[in-house]
Amino acid sequence: MYQIEIDHLCKSYGAVKILKDISLNVEKGSFVTLIGPSGCGKSTLLRLVAGLEKITSGTVKIAGEVVNDRPPRERHVAMVFQSYALYPHMTVSKNLTYALRLRGRPKQEIDERAAATGQLLGLSDLLDRMPRDLSGGQRQRVAMGRAIVRDPQVFLFDEPLSNLDAALRVRMRSELRKLHQRLGATSLYVTHDQIEAMTMADTVVVLRDGVVEQVGAPLDLYHRPANRFVAGFIGSPAMNFVEGIVTEDGRGVVLSQARKQRLELPRPLQSGRKVWIGLRPEHMQLGGAGKKQKFDVQVDTVESTGSMTFIETKADPTSLIIAQSGTAQVAGGTTITVGINSEDIYLFDIKTELAV
Amino acid sequence: MKRYVFLLIAIVLAAIYLFPLYWMYVTALKSGSDIFRYPPAFWPAHPRLQLAQVFATYQVDRYVWNSFVVALGATFITVLLGTGAAYVLANVRHPIVTVALFAILMLQVLPPSLMVTPLFVAFNQLGLLEWPRFAVVLATAAKTLPFYIVLCRATFTQIPGELRDAALVDGNSRIGAFLHIVLPLARNGILVVSTLVFLQSFGEYVYSRSMIATKELQTATVGLSSFLGANSNDWVGLMTYASIYVTPILIVFVLLQRHIVSGLTAGALK
Repeated sequence: MYQIEIDHLCKSYGAVKILKDISLNVEKGSFVTLIGPSGCGKSTLLRLVAGLEKITSGTVKIAGEVVNDRPPRERHVAMVFQSYALYPHMTVSKNLTYALRLRGRPKQEIDERAAATGQLLGLSDLLDRMPRDLSGGQRQRVAMGRAIVRDPQVFLFDEPLSNLDAALRVRMRSELRKLHQRLGATSLYVTHDQIEAMTMADTVVVLRDGVVEQVGAPLDLYHRPANRFVAGFIGSPAMNFVEGIVTEDGRGVVLSQARKQRLELPRPLQSGRKVWIGLRPEHMQLGGAGKKQKFDVQVDTVESTGSMTFIETKADPTSLIIAQSGTAQVAGGTTITVGINSEDIYLFDIKTELAV
Repeated sequence: MKRYVFLLIAIVLAAIYLFPLYWMYVTALKSGSDIFRYPPAFWPAHPRLQLAQVFATYQVDRYVWNSFVVALGATFITVLLGTGAAYVLANVRHPIVTVALFAILMLQVLPPSLMVTPLFVAFNQLGLLEWPRFAVVLATAAKTLPFYIVLCRATFTQIPGELRDAALVDGNSRIGAFLHIVLPLARNGILVVSTLVFLQSFGEYVYSRSMIATKELQTATVGLSSFLGANSNDWVGLMTYASIYVTPILIVFVLLQRHIVSGLTAGALK
C-alpha cells in the first residue's frame, strides 16, 4: 500500500514552472530521499505534500485520500525544517507538545508523551529550557521530537542536518536512520547531500529542473544510472565523461584523445555511433593489474589525503580523475597505465544522454 | 582627542536643541516680573510652581483628558487595522504589494493641513461632526495608519516564515498561527510602534482645531493655543500648562528610548 501518491503534479509561480509533471509513490514505512542540485524543486515538492503551497495541477494523496485542498493540519504530516523553526517563546517541552495541545489532548497524555519523547532523544534534562539556550545539535533533536511526539502518518524532512557541523551530521545521520527503523514511519527526506541520500534511504529520487530523472534503490542509481546526469550526480568524486566513437566491428570504442586509444565494450553497439563514455574514478586502477582493459594517461596533479589518492590527468581534451585507496607513488608529468573492467564502463548517447 | 571634540559638539548641539524645553520649565517656575527682566535670568530668584492654580483656572485636566481619549482611540484603530495589514504585506509575494506599499508611503506625504478641508466636508456630509472627538480619532488614525503599517511590516519580515509553516503543520489554522506564534514574537516591535503612534496622536493639532467646535471637547494642543489671545499674556500659566502636557510624553520617551531606537532600525539592516 502506498502512503503518499503523487500523480502528474505541477507547480508554477506565474510563468515559472518549478515542478513539471511529477509522479511518485512512497510505500508505507519506507524512507525516500529527494535529491538534486539547488533550485531543482525538491523543497517545493515537500511543501506541496505538506500543504504549505498550493498545487497548480495534479493530485497528492496521503493514505489513499486526495489532500489537494486540505490545509496542513488535516494531512497528518509532521515536518522538520532546515532552520528547525523552534518557537522561540516556548520552552522545549512546550515546543514538543504544541501540536498535542492544539488538538486538546488530556494533560496527562501530553505530559507522558513529552517525557517519553524527551527520553527517546536524550532531551529529558532540557525540557524546561528555552530554544535559545540550546546548542545546534540539541535544537535539531527538539525539532525531531516535535515531529515524533505526534505519531504522524508521514514525516517530512527539509534538509534537517544541513545546519550542523560535519561530525554532528554524521552522528545524527545514523541516529535518524535508527529512529526510522524503530518507528517505521513513512519518511520523505529532502537533501542536497548525496551521502545522506545514499546511506539513509530505501529509495532515492533524483530531481533536476522540476523533473524526476531517476527513482531507485541507492546502489541501483550508482550501478545503473538511467542517464548522464544521474551518473555524474551520484558518486564522489563525480564520474568522468569522455567522448568516443564505436569502432567498425561494433565491439570497441575509440576515445576522443590524441592517442585514439581503444576500449572493449561490455556488449556490441552499432558502429560509428557517438557516445559518452563514463568512467568512475574508483573503478580505475593504477597499473591495471587484474583489470581487463588498459589505457595510458598523463598525470597532471596528485592530491593525497592519506586514505585516498586522487590523480588528475592532463586535459586530452578532457581530464580524468582517478581515485586510489591508500597512497600512490605517482609524479606529475609522467605517463601511467590505468586499468578498468569492461563491465565498469558506462555508455550514454551523445545527444539524448540516456544510458545505452 | 578627536572623540572629545565630537562629544563637545554633540553636547553643544543638544543644548541648543533642548534649550526651549529648559526655558519652558524655567519660565513655569518664574514670577510675572521675572519673565520680563533684562538680562534674563537662567534660574528664577524665587522659584514657584503654580500647578494647582493653573489646573483650576484653565481646566487642564479636561483638555488633557480629551487629548488622551483622542490619542487612545486613534492608536486603537491604528493597531487594530494596521497589524493585520502589515502582516499581509510582509508575507504575500506579489507585485501588487510593492504598489500597495508605495501608495501607503504616499499617504504619509499628504500633510493634515491639506487633508483637513476635504475631510471636514466629507465628515460633515456623513454627520460625523455630531461626534467631533470620534471624527478627530478617525482623521488622525488615517494619518498614523501608514506610518504604523510600514514600521510594523518591518517587524514582521524579521520573523522567519518557517515558524508560521511549522505552526501550520503542527495543526494550527492561518489565523491561529498568526495569533499564537507570530504575534507574540512581534510584540516588542508592535508595542514600540504603537507608543510612537500614541504620542503622535497626543500632539495632534490641525484636526482637533478644525473639527471640534465645543470648547469642552477640545484637546490640550488647542487649549494651549487659546492662551495666545489678543489681550491675554499669562506666560507663566502658559508654560505651566505646557509643562503639564509635555512631561508625561517626555517620561515615556526616556523610558522607551532604547526600544524605540532599536524598533525603528529593525528590519532596516539585514
